[in-house]
Amino acid sequence: MIPQRRSAFVHKLFMPYLAYRLRKAFNVLKHDEVEIMPGHSILLLCNHFSWWDGFWAGQLTHTYLHRDFYIMMQEDHIKKRMFFNLLGGFSINRESKEVVRSLQYAANLLSDPKNLVTVFPQGALLSNHSDEINIERGIDYIVKKIDGNCQIIYYSAFIDYFESLKPSVYFHFLNCGTNHDFDCEKVRALINAHHKKALKAQVNAAH
Amino acid sequence: MIRNKKNFFIHSLLSIYTRWLLKRTFHQFSFNQLDVDPNKSILLISNHFSFWDALIAYKINRKLLRKKFHVMVREDTTLHLHSLKYGGAFSVSKKSRDMVESLNYAAELLHDPKNLVLMFPQGKLHSNFVEQINFEKGIMRIIERSGGNFQLVFAATFIQYFRSKKPSITTYLKNEEYHGQSLEELQSAYQQHYDIAKREQTEIVI
Repeated sequence: MIPQRRSAFVHKLFMPYLAYRLRKAFNVLKHDEVEIMPGHSILLLCNHFSWWDGFWAGQLTHTYLHRDFYIMMQEDHIKKRMFFNLLGGFSINRESKEVVRSLQYAANLLSDPKNLVTVFPQGALLSNHSDEINIERGIDYIVKKIDGNCQIIYYSAFIDYFESLKPSVYFHFLNCGTNHDFDCEKVRALINAHHKKALKAQVNAAH
Repeated sequence: MIRNKKNFFIHSLLSIYTRWLLKRTFHQFSFNQLDVDPNKSILLISNHFSFWDALIAYKINRKLLRKKFHVMVREDTTLHLHSLKYGGAFSVSKKSRDMVESLNYAAELLHDPKNLVLMFPQGKLHSNFVEQINFEKGIMRIIERSGGNFQLVFAATFIQYFRSKKPSITTYLKNEEYHGQSLEELQSAYQQHYDIAKREQTEIVI
């Protein structure tokens, strides 16, 4: 397992560059409001359909959720891009025995209320049109091992163009409660219902 | 109403620019093959979710359908983008009597087997995530006045990202036999094609 080596200095240099890249590639990033509990770390779950997902999560963390950003990445991916290691990336390898260590590592990070860990619960790249979000069992493990207060937030991101030449990204947030009242099955149902609702809402998105 | 204009020079420039723009903006562009009848004009019906739709259809026409490209666009966009008329755009305005003129003009274009007319029957921009495609009435007027010698082609376009930084386009094309269907029947035929395409897009896992 590759642990994170987050550097505040690298992060500070990278954020303006990320903002520039996002501005160049997208028209707007639009998100709705979600209740952010003070004194809680955040476990951020999102749908995974593009190369950009991690960057959007990083940007939203920086501008809206205001926590220190960490992200769980596939081991073979992070090995090729060790730079992300400096921005808070740590590895998970689903095939190896070390998977438990990675999950425990995420839980340890979440025990500190100033942290945020991004996880793609689907564990694979899926279509943006997909209407089902699969939550892997690892999430359950992470949340159970957290020592302290943690809020679980999910968002569905969708790409739409409308009048602009550049695509816009629409984030639909969902507050999934805290680690104390966490029930994996219930959250799975909640997220899927929210995702379906978000897909419907996207059709009527203001533009 | 603004009609399309012929100008070899400007058209060539627009064509080169469009090719460059599409290449630069998108990672991949795929569409399925289709039989084209050389003795018939083509009425291309597509979903409308962005400015790119017309350019996507333009490229499909250049690569596959090989007709003279025409597209019906809203008057407010044509006023801003006056050069588009050299690329085959003619205007339609929703409110005035102009609309009838535009629809008649589109029908006229379909008389010539060398032409292709692209139409967005949804009438305005919608999300790429819509489930229900609603047709406006105008399309029936075009079909009724066109003399029936046209090939009806359905196109459903979707955007995906996956591993690339740039989006990819997939267009699903389908020939539809026209034998006097009503607006509702046409709409449900398109809906069927759209649903199949959307399902295929939904099930992609990488």
